[in-house]
Amino acid sequence: MSAHRPQLSRRGFLGGSLLFVAGAAVGCSTSPTGGDSSGAKTTLNVWSHAYGEAGTQQALTRYAEAFTKANPDIAVKVTWTPGDYGAKLNSALLTDGAPDVFEIGDFSQAMARRGQLAALDDVYGSAKSDFSQGNLDYMTVDGKLYGVKMIDDVMMLYYRKSALAKAGINPPTTFDELAAAAKALTTKNTKGLFVGNDGLGDTPALAVLSNGGDLVTNGKVVFDSPQAAEAVAALKRLADDQSLLLGFTTDWWDPSALIQNVVPMQWCGLWAMPAIKTALGDDFGVLPWPAFKAGGSPVLRVGGWTACVNAKGKHVDAAKKFVQWLWVDQTDLQKDWSESYGFHVPPRASVAAAADKLAQGAAKETVELAAKYGKHNPNTWDSEVSTPFSAAAKKIVSGQGDAAQLLSDAAKQAQTALDKQHT
Amino acid sequence: MNAPTSDTTERSERAGRPAATPRGPAPARRRRPADLRTWGAFALLTAPMLIGLGIFKYVAIGWSFLLSLSNAHGTIALGQWVGLDNYRQLLSDDTFRSSLGKILLFTVFIVPVTFVVSLGLALLVNRVRRGRAVVRTAFLIPTAVSYVAASLVWKMCLFNGLPAGIANMVGGWFGMDSVPWLQTTDPPLYWIVLVTLRLWLQVGFYMVLFLAGLQAIPKEIDEAAALDGATGFRKLMRITLPMLRNTSVAVLMLQFIAAFQAFDEFYNLFSSGLSGTATAPVQTPLVYLYNTSMGSQNYGLGSAGAFVLTALIVAVTLIQGRLTGFGKGEE
Repeated sequence: MSAHRPQLSRRGFLGGSLLFVAGAAVGCSTSPTGGDSSGAKTTLNVWSHAYGEAGTQQALTRYAEAFTKANPDIAVKVTWTPGDYGAKLNSALLTDGAPDVFEIGDFSQAMARRGQLAALDDVYGSAKSDFSQGNLDYMTVDGKLYGVKMIDDVMMLYYRKSALAKAGINPPTTFDELAAAAKALTTKNTKGLFVGNDGLGDTPALAVLSNGGDLVTNGKVVFDSPQAAEAVAALKRLADDQSLLLGFTTDWWDPSALIQNVVPMQWCGLWAMPAIKTALGDDFGVLPWPAFKAGGSPVLRVGGWTACVNAKGKHVDAAKKFVQWLWVDQTDLQKDWSESYGFHVPPRASVAAAADKLAQGAAKETVELAAKYGKHNPNTWDSEVSTPFSAAAKKIVSGQGDAAQLLSDAAKQAQTALDKQHT
Repeated sequence: MNAPTSDTTERSERAGRPAATPRGPAPARRRRPADLRTWGAFALLTAPMLIGLGIFKYVAIGWSFLLSLSNAHGTIALGQWVGLDNYRQLLSDDTFRSSLGKILLFTVFIVPVTFVVSLGLALLVNRVRRGRAVVRTAFLIPTAVSYVAASLVWKMCLFNGLPAGIANMVGGWFGMDSVPWLQTTDPPLYWIVLVTLRLWLQVGFYMVLFLAGLQAIPKEIDEAAALDGATGFRKLMRITLPMLRNTSVAVLMLQFIAAFQAFDEFYNLFSSGLSGTATAPVQTPLVYLYNTSMGSQNYGLGSAGAFVLTALIVAVTLIQGRLTGFGKGEE
């Protein structure tokens, strides 16, 4: 059949190739942002991970447009990044297409020490005292501030009031009670507790903190302390009882498992509360991760996202201006971002005080609990330091060795990585 | 396209010469001044490809090698030379060593299974008289599905941990309790998910390679064998398989390399929102390298790992080539 195909002449081939190359060149050089950057001298590239709540992407674009309206010489291109945000950001930072402004989930001092982040002390101005000391400490490296916290994300335990009441169970206040409740709520077709599809999620760190242990103190990795080993080893009970939901279609940060009545208790975040309230009405309550035993402390995790400026970017000053405008000055936009989509706690005390949706019901309760028991990850807790801990916890929970030994080995590895952050 | 070989040779000899120029007897050696034009054309046509290959592959590989000898944290600039430190750290890391062990185990299992299944399918499809194209296409289509999409289907639909998951539902008909397939480490049920996924995606492709090999076996040989009384299993062992040797060797090599480079399904099936793949029951070397480079931004260590893995793949390929005589051409 191919023998009868008309032959392509050399001239035709050459012409076709040239057309193709020309077309490709035109196609590649056309800006995908459209008319956004008309008349502006600088275009800022702003990166965000893909927030799960409806309307967030539009909101961020709206803020960017408002900024350009106030600063006509600076256009802003918002890049919404689904998937593995951290990996995409890290590789983009090596290139010319690096973002000028980007958010990071767990602030890492190593990035500041490597010179990837610009110091932002001048961005705060007089508003500095309005930010909590905890957040400021979190972003301080060698006396300089390297980020502006955009939102505080509180993570806590949700439970279905009706399900616990039906089983005659009180909201658990110790780990023993939690494990017992999870087991009692487990039936043939439903599990009692969802903490993450890998069966661990945040629980190893929560266990350590709830038993008076810590992850890193003053530059020393301490998750191999006896109370840490005791608490992590106890997590095996949840796995052995088979009371954990595993292999659900979405992970712990999405409230679907709770909403769809697949589990009565789930570790999730404040961001999911509007969705949960819509689905369940008042049939849910919030709890901290309970104290490991009497004498330990309940714990909630406080994470969130931090706006940073790429120190090696082409428009550092414009980028600082954007971060200052949006995350320091525009308190009404910060309020919008914190309570109109998912719920987040605004890092500025004055904005938090004005956030009326957070001042009622379960949201209020969560904010109060977070103020009392909330814990930040240390800013040395990057993936190189945390990976050995998670891997050791996984082995402990699946019964592949002695907790104290595994944690001590992991701590050595983590300490090596942590020491390297300073070089 | 099915032109006999002799025809093709003639055309390529003619190519590039001015038609009108009378010539003497065909020259035995190629490189003569008169062939400069041919060389020019060759250079012109291959240059874009070679330059691209040079810049985007070989320069990158060289750079990566230099990176593997330096401390490159959060940067790919060279400068802080540390000698073989990265290699030392890598080989003393239990996670990396166990990832090498796991990938060897995976390879030893998946390669023969894929080989036998795709060969078996090819033999069956080759015997189908009617609608062969339909059958062939049906098996080939999964090859066009991306690993990521397939992993998500396997993870969320077929092998999720809910009683409503398809695997658990089928198990339920036979009185089996629901199990979380990917998270069960004892027994390691996650291998079922990994292996079925890879088979579904790859078998069709290798089946087509085998089919091409089967169809290239001359009818005369088959007929002669049939006349001599060789049928069924005997014909398969004595005629078909030996005639498929070159195809088989190439398929084996491709499968080895694909197995060593396994990444997509391991990453997508096991990654969990918080800890990435740190808690995955099995990490392949590429997943480890991805976490090291893209997660921890330790590009020096990542590059060192890439070279260790490359060396391993090259070694296995060479050994396999030596054992099976790949590249020696027809006897």
